[in-house]
Amino acid sequence: MLNILVCVKQVPDVNLVKIDPVTGSLIRAGVPAILNPLDANALEAGVRIKEQYGGTVTAITMGPDQAAEALRECLAAGADRAVLLSDRAFANADTLATSYVIVTAAKLLGEFDLIFCGKESLDGATGQMASQLAERFDASQLSSVLSVLSVDEEKKTVVAERELAGGVETALSTLPCLMTVEKTKLRPRIPNLKSWKASRTAQILRYHSQTIPGIDPEQIGDPGSPTKVPRTYPPEKGPGGEMIREGSAVKDVEKLLGLLADKL
Amino acid sequence: MALYNKLSPSAAEKLRAIVGDGRFQYGETVREEYSHDEMPIYGRFLPEAVCLAESTEEVSAILKLCHEENVPVTVRGAGTGLVGGCVPVAGGIVLSTMKMNKILSYDMNNLVVHTQPGVRLCDLAADALAHGLMYPPDPGEKTATVGGNVSTNAGGMRAVKYGVTRDYVLAMTVVLPDGTIMKLGKTVCKTSSGYSLLHLMIGSEGTLGVITELTLKLVPKPRMDVSLILPFCDIATAIASVPAIKLANLDPQSIEFMERDIVDSSAAFTGNAVFPTVVNGKEAGAYILVTLVGDSEAELTAKMDRLGEVAEKAGAYDTLVVWTDGLKKDVWAARSAFLTVIEAETKLLDEMDVVVPVDRIAEFLVYTHDEAVRQGVTVRSFGHAGDGNLHIYCCSNDLEEDEFKRRVKELMDRCYAKCTEFEGQVSGEHSIGHAKKAYLRESVGETAYGLMGAIKQVFDPKGILNPGKVCHDWEGGALDA
Amino acid sequence: MLNKNDCKDMWVYVEHEGGKVLPVSLELCCEARKLCDAAGEKLCAVVVGELHRSEIEKVLLCGVEKLIRVRGTGYDYFNVDAYAELFTKLCRKYHPSAVFVGGTINGRDFAPRFACRLPTGCTSDATQLVYDPRTGDIEFIEPAVGGKMMAVITVPVMRPQVGTIRPGTFKHVPSGARSCELIEETIDFDVEKIRTKVLDFVPDEVDESLNIADAEVIVCVGNGLKGADTLPRYRELAELLGGKVGCTRPVFDRGVLPYKLVIGQSGVVVKPKLYIAFGVSGAVNHVTGITDSDVIVAVNRDPDAAIFGYATYGIVGDMDEVCDAMIAQLKARK
Repeated sequence: MLNILVCVKQVPDVNLVKIDPVTGSLIRAGVPAILNPLDANALEAGVRIKEQYGGTVTAITMGPDQAAEALRECLAAGADRAVLLSDRAFANADTLATSYVIVTAAKLLGEFDLIFCGKESLDGATGQMASQLAERFDASQLSSVLSVLSVDEEKKTVVAERELAGGVETALSTLPCLMTVEKTKLRPRIPNLKSWKASRTAQILRYHSQTIPGIDPEQIGDPGSPTKVPRTYPPEKGPGGEMIREGSAVKDVEKLLGLLADKL
Repeated sequence: MALYNKLSPSAAEKLRAIVGDGRFQYGETVREEYSHDEMPIYGRFLPEAVCLAESTEEVSAILKLCHEENVPVTVRGAGTGLVGGCVPVAGGIVLSTMKMNKILSYDMNNLVVHTQPGVRLCDLAADALAHGLMYPPDPGEKTATVGGNVSTNAGGMRAVKYGVTRDYVLAMTVVLPDGTIMKLGKTVCKTSSGYSLLHLMIGSEGTLGVITELTLKLVPKPRMDVSLILPFCDIATAIASVPAIKLANLDPQSIEFMERDIVDSSAAFTGNAVFPTVVNGKEAGAYILVTLVGDSEAELTAKMDRLGEVAEKAGAYDTLVVWTDGLKKDVWAARSAFLTVIEAETKLLDEMDVVVPVDRIAEFLVYTHDEAVRQGVTVRSFGHAGDGNLHIYCCSNDLEEDEFKRRVKELMDRCYAKCTEFEGQVSGEHSIGHAKKAYLRESVGETAYGLMGAIKQVFDPKGILNPGKVCHDWEGGALDA
Repeated sequence: MLNKNDCKDMWVYVEHEGGKVLPVSLELCCEARKLCDAAGEKLCAVVVGELHRSEIEKVLLCGVEKLIRVRGTGYDYFNVDAYAELFTKLCRKYHPSAVFVGGTINGRDFAPRFACRLPTGCTSDATQLVYDPRTGDIEFIEPAVGGKMMAVITVPVMRPQVGTIRPGTFKHVPSGARSCELIEETIDFDVEKIRTKVLDFVPDEVDESLNIADAEVIVCVGNGLKGADTLPRYRELAELLGGKVGCTRPVFDRGVLPYKLVIGQSGVVVKPKLYIAFGVSGAVNHVTGITDSDVIVAVNRDPDAAIFGYATYGIVGDMDEVCDAMIAQLKARK
């Protein structure tokens, strides 16, 4: 029986986030929060392993209460249990502090053989979480996995295909192994009515800083985060070039091609 | 005898003066795309000139001139039609509405929007949503113009709950063939005030007047919605579930059907295999896609439960819940891509847009498939199961064009006859154009067809507006005379 | 814990493959050189495993003042286990102020991992590096939230400051060799402890259309793209111009084009002679990938689109219409 963990994140749909032209700050109101798309692929990878080899899939996330919705999506799509780590003290965490909280809590739930993550998140997009989770789980690490080919529970190994720059690598790693998943063959399934309904009422395991024994307050949230974001600013607008306004597409293009004559 | 005149160089210069250089194409500068719509099998007819009008006044001036000159005028929106409706079969000019593409204003108290006709459906829909409102008509072709939608009385996927374009047009500004500007309808929802010229104009395919402004009804955006995919073993079983779904009192927003092969093609084309092909170990042969709306999750859950029961009894392999926004987008994008996929995969293409009573859909499809096999033509279909509106595409990649046309005519003659036998309609939302005239005549009978012709005569005695379409007979030859 | 002022030298990990130093490592040496000049620190290159003298020379030409050459078991092929452990050991021994690692698949695998083990802060995908003399920290400046804003990231207390940087972000402009101290290290990693083994590698079929990094002309489609069905005209235009089609991240997210065609911060950095953006909004994470283009042409419906700020020439209009007009006129010329 394999013990499978899928680490997920709820993210704002960044394509819909707008910038206030006056203050330069993000307008998040009305922007839907979604399950990070690559995490859905990671979940599917975990669920397929469970179906093939037997085991349980646990979905875990750190975030505000609303992140429970992302976990319900995981439950609908095949996760057996869901864990939400939510506490104000966890806020403003970078990847180091976040990985610390997730791994510290996950260790309360048992020992995991396989850990899946999306390759990166839509909003932060650092792609660092997986490596740091792997480090804290003391797990082997396979990034950019296209598909898991086999798991050998006896020998405690996994074989997976990875997408590298110039081709596809087949690699073998020992368990526990953390894998990051690409957006590819592992399309998340559409839940059926039964599992969808179950997911809407299922119990979600919740932890906060007081209910995770032994958690070090110096390693969580802002104090535990060595990277800081002292400021943000809207991207500078470029100086702009020559606008072509000839009245119609055909004439605009005529003029453009004339201007580009030496490039064509 | 030449019915129409060619556009004289002096008249062309007058047109150029009306719209300005940048919005006028004449002779060699006329672009090829104006010679056809998305169904080029019905022939290519290049206009003598193209005017991209920007205002009612310009349209009026163009029509006045062409009326005096006896030059045909064919109105064109985005050119996404499928029956040659916007193609200038008798020559003359094309009057494009594409530059009349402004949404003018919203009236939030009366829930209406004033818009120019050249606004694309997708832009209007998105803009309305940004105002918290929904424009209910939802034809598959989102890049069509609203003017085109009104001219064809387009229906679409949400017709089963909300009705068709006709039900959302409250008023319009129309320019008659002689250039007279007229307003039809008012911003109110009831009228019992004489013949409805407004409704005569809707669906008249640009043969009676040119629409230059529209007042459209909107509805509050539903609070929540969910789509459900019901996979079935085959199309007959899938369609057989529809009456039961409709009887279950779920007030679905849409009930669509799709056959497996088109789902596969769509997946290959978009790279997005969103519809599962194997469900609970069984190969799906057809799907029903249902969208439900409601005020709360509890309401939707209750409706889904009822749908699940109905689906199971009807033999669905499962009831799959499309709940998240991302998944909804993927599912409906796949559905909306069907025609595009067929066009991309097919060299020779023709289509039927029949409507049959819902309980005859399966029978009609089986008949069509059998006839297609006899003719050696591939048939691919999808459509609106909830209202019996079927989109049936006849495709071939290996036949010669003439042979294809001959076989498709044979096939269509039989299918339209079958449709008439089933008390169906020749077209649900794609219209008649010049491609389906004969089938319309056959279907409605001589008396009705004659009345239609008489109405055309009243509005457009010289027959210059979109000649040769719907019920207007034009003998041809004018341009060569 | 060491005081950050006691940590000196900025390191660049010199990644090599098939006996060649990766361009990204040279780019990083050149950029870190500038930071060292500003900070008054030394630039140190870390080379692991065998590398021919001529390749080392290329690295030294970037103004390297220290060269750490590491030999030992466990480094013959890349594996996270050996490399993460090696850099942990080296950092603990020498206390660099910063470590820069190329944002390759391997670099992105092991850098956050040794940062976690040390522990220290790690950043990824900065597009600008600025030394702040007031704090003594490096500002890693990068586009955030889909490029809608720029975020300044610092590691104000811990050292080293670790950063992975995408290939192509900085330029390889060697500032010339300096006198260089050589430090030789032999650190063995027990090969039995390598947890990952490569079983097979199947090179991709060479599809030249997917290799856009060196294309001279690029026709880029952005999120304004109406659908996959409208793509053929852009392919046709690219072909007429002797170029290739690329896209922005949202087009990949929509499943329309493959990841290898994504231009920008999370994709490929391109340097074409002519770059034409159709329906590209101009989010900064895309723009960072195109700024070295000789000529940028932007076509967008929205006259306020940010892309016009970066364009040499701009046309406000329907992307398909403009593309069609270009095709027609280019054909007419031929």
